Amino acid sequence: MAGEGVQGPRSDKAILPRRAVCLLPLVLIAGCTGRQSALAPAGEDAAQLKLLLLVMLAGAVVLWLALNGLFYYVTRIRPGAFHIRHANRLIIGAGVIFPTVLIGALLAWGLSIMPGQRAPGDGLVIRVKAEEWWWRVEYWPQGSDAPITSANEIRLPTGSRTELRLTANLYIHSLWIPALGGKMDMIPGRETVLTLHPQAAGTYRGQCAEFCGASHALMAFETVVMEPDAFAEWLRAEAAPAAAPGGAGAALFRDEGCGACHTIRGTDFAGTVGPDLTHLASRVSLGAGIMQVSRDDLKRWIAHTGDIKPEVAMPAYDWLSDADLDHLATYLEGLR
Amino acid sequence: MSHQDQDEFRDESVSLWRIAFAPTVWAFHFLLCYAGGAVWCAKFGAAQGVGFLRISVLGLTVLALALIVWQGWRSARQWEPHDASATDLHRPESRHRFLGHAAFLLSIISGVGVIYVALPALFITSCR
Repeated sequence: MAGEGVQGPRSDKAILPRRAVCLLPLVLIAGCTGRQSALAPAGEDAAQLKLLLLVMLAGAVVLWLALNGLFYYVTRIRPGAFHIRHANRLIIGAGVIFPTVLIGALLAWGLSIMPGQRAPGDGLVIRVKAEEWWWRVEYWPQGSDAPITSANEIRLPTGSRTELRLTANLYIHSLWIPALGGKMDMIPGRETVLTLHPQAAGTYRGQCAEFCGASHALMAFETVVMEPDAFAEWLRAEAAPAAAPGGAGAALFRDEGCGACHTIRGTDFAGTVGPDLTHLASRVSLGAGIMQVSRDDLKRWIAHTGDIKPEVAMPAYDWLSDADLDHLATYLEGLR
Repeated sequence: MSHQDQDEFRDESVSLWRIAFAPTVWAFHFLLCYAGGAVWCAKFGAAQGVGFLRISVLGLTVLALALIVWQGWRSARQWEPHDASATDLHRPESRHRFLGHAAFLLSIISGVGVIYVALPALFITSCR
């Protein structure tokens, strides 16, 4: 036959890319750690989900090995005709009963741990409303009749279960903090509940996990998990009005109409269209998890809002001079 | 279609219904469990818990499994697995038994499906 026997040894050029492809999965291992990984749990619920994943994976591996092992056995080790009775036993035992029982057991176990993921909270309730690409956050400590309002950051105490009551403004979103637990949809006009029991203090990244529009990928937030005492202290400070500085920045904030959309408690600014800015400078991120609370980022955000976060409601104040932006940044940096 | 084919088709119409019976029971069980669960939780779940819902799912499941077992038993009799004389599908008699075999296997998978659908009712403790 033409072409047969003319194949020489494969060149290194052909082999190298294949080896490189084999190494690609190693890149994915990076996803097993970090502050946004479901495989590096920092809470009871995430640990449970990780165990669930590992057991399901083990079940899948057992099924895969058994099926392919059987296939190997009947095609390579013992090819040829089976007695009809043996063949039937093999098909019914290994092909029907074994997977049905294994999958049934995994399903039953998975279902048995689900109620724990929705266990009632220990007192603190946090209401989160997904807006157009940012998060409205309200803390309702046990027994309180008015919320402590914040935005774009969720703080949780360790060692107790906190209830997150979720809703959305216009579109369906989903709240997911992989290191702490599963995700939960946020639906306009409805309230969904997620409860989380963080165990390790730290800062973990959360992300909208349901495609919601132009800036879906830019809709993130930081979750700061604190020891109970530190959390109580932080909540007290968060409840207080802003230590708002005066000066040129405050005047600009008023003259440019910023207060029509943003609330700064302790001042006359009481707009509720955009995020509450009362303690903006004490937050760990700006623009819903996408920038730092730094002078440069504050100036860039004010002047180029829509370029940074497409279709955001806030207009870009690109007519302001650099000096004005500096004044505004100074004012905002003072909101502690 | 010849007259002979038409006659056979008419004779086998019961077998064809029989094939569809178990998956249909599975489908209705699924529909009633999920739609019933959604309606119960939307209307009464917060006040009355899920006790009635769980008992209803159990009742529906027992009923569905009884229907499927009955159907499976009739299909197995039509199949006649222990008689190996008729394996040539060109004969109407063999086709009749093959339809029984197919209905029997569908009864098994429908039974497994019904059990899997009912499993969550064993574990739910609230509508949350």
